[in-house]
Amino acid sequence: MTEMRKEDTVKLISAEGFEFVINKEAAMVSQTIRNMLTSPGSFAEAQHGEVTFPEISTTILEKICQYFHWSLQYASGKETEFPIEPELTLELMMAANYLHT
Amino acid sequence: MYIRVKRMKTTYFIQCDPTEKVLEIKQKLNVLIDQPVNDQRLTHMPSGEVLEDSKSLADQKVENDAVVALTLRKDDNKFEEVNIVRPDDFCQSRDAEGGSW
Repeated sequence: MTEMRKEDTVKLISAEGFEFVINKEAAMVSQTIRNMLTSPGSFAEAQHGEVTFPEISTTILEKICQYFHWSLQYASGKETEFPIEPELTLELMMAANYLHT
Repeated sequence: MYIRVKRMKTTYFIQCDPTEKVLEIKQKLNVLIDQPVNDQRLTHMPSGEVLEDSKSLADQKVENDAVVALTLRKDDNKFEEVNIVRPDDFCQSRDAEGGSW
């Protein structure tokens, strides 16, 4: 399907230094990340395509990345459930609040 | 759909179609990691089944959100072992507390 280009991806880094390479369009589901990547000159993140989240654990960040992709699919008409394990709920809500997601 | 390709502390979220061949996934990874497709091996987790280039994802039961391990060819021409680092999960530490809540 779509051609892969490195410029179209961003790397999100968790508190423990785990890296998630995801499609930029998916990452921009988050208003916070969108601002970081698009506001001219203000964030070093924009140049390198890397964003570090020292406050977000690896498990939560992976769940967030899954949510971004699910959200794109949902927006394009594929209505499926997004499962959230109860033990993740609180931390996930805090991260979502920070990310404006 | 997307799959999660994992190696060590990095996860690549690769957007793809069920009809895509494994070789096409490797070509996408090549763009991201600069490793020729012949030096990549993809293993469906947790079954440990090595995916064949010429077959499609659907043929090999690789579905949306699947985890696939990436291994690379080493200098001695053999492939490295599957190596996916997991975060020290807070879920595990919670279990260790013996359900205090």
